[in-house]
Amino acid sequence: MARRKQREAEPEEEPQMNMSSMMDACFLLLIYFIVATSLVSEKRLSVSLPGNSTGSGTPPPLEPGRIKVEASGAIYWNGDMPMGGAINPGLDPRSPEYREERELGELVEALKNLAEAAKAADTNPIVMVEGAPATPHQRIVDVMAALSEAGISTVGLNTAAQE
Amino acid sequence: MAKKKARAEDDTKAELNMSSMMDACFLLIIFFVVNASQITVAKDPCVKMPNAVTCSEMKEAKGCVVVNVFPDVEKMDERTATKFGESYAPGTVWSVSDGAKTIGYQAQQTQDLTDFITKQIEMWKAKNIDPNMIRLYVRGDQNAPWERSATVIRCAAAAGLSNVVFGTLPAR
Repeated sequence: MARRKQREAEPEEEPQMNMSSMMDACFLLLIYFIVATSLVSEKRLSVSLPGNSTGSGTPPPLEPGRIKVEASGAIYWNGDMPMGGAINPGLDPRSPEYREERELGELVEALKNLAEAAKAADTNPIVMVEGAPATPHQRIVDVMAALSEAGISTVGLNTAAQE
Repeated sequence: MAKKKARAEDDTKAELNMSSMMDACFLLIIFFVVNASQITVAKDPCVKMPNAVTCSEMKEAKGCVVVNVFPDVEKMDERTATKFGESYAPGTVWSVSDGAKTIGYQAQQTQDLTDFITKQIEMWKAKNIDPNMIRLYVRGDQNAPWERSATVIRCAAAAGLSNVVFGTLPAR
């Protein structure tokens, strides 16, 4: 009697898989990828060199703008128009004081004017950036950010003669 | 009779159906795997990235020829300088990743750098990457002298690469 009852009860049990360890592995993978993707936060500033982008040997219809960056970080627009002061070399590039010093609002305005003039002349604005050899890379990136803000992407990059 | 029924109820275990949770988990994993592989470029921890207010997202790492530009060791902090000393020969100013190995170049090795960039361009072309999508990715240290970054750009121009991308971090 008891045996028959036991035999009847057996088929009711469903086969089950223990998923807890699989879930553990899944969550670990998930955490890894979430952390890995949030760490990859590099951004970009794109420029294209003018020599290859124009293609033809004819001079551009609009005179290119010229930005000169001195080793001290001082920036001049079209020759001798000061657009940004020298940077205190003791400042950390990530500090708020440094960010205040490297503001290039006037340069952005000048570049926007150039972009508008180029648009009116139906041509592509070109800017030549001439940096002193010892200029910190951060200062050139500041200039590139200003160019990007003004919507100018055709940029000639050059190194000035040693001061 | 009622007692028997109550005992049977006690025997049933409380179970949670995990299958839908697993589905969601796998979807999230797939999303992050794809996302991570898309925007990963070879990074050198010895480079302290510059920051910029206006910079755009790095959507695709394919076609990037990555060159790291280092400052002088005196301008690195102690920890980075130690790491740099362990990884590179003295006088190294640029580094590149060629598969699993990292190659360091000194200031006078411009021809070697040009050759490497040419090789990388050929590699991307062989992988059917649009030539307009092949670009030089300059990972310059914020304190690296401009002369070094400009030399890399000149080498890339000599190799026929005119699209340049400056790697930055967003300014907070």
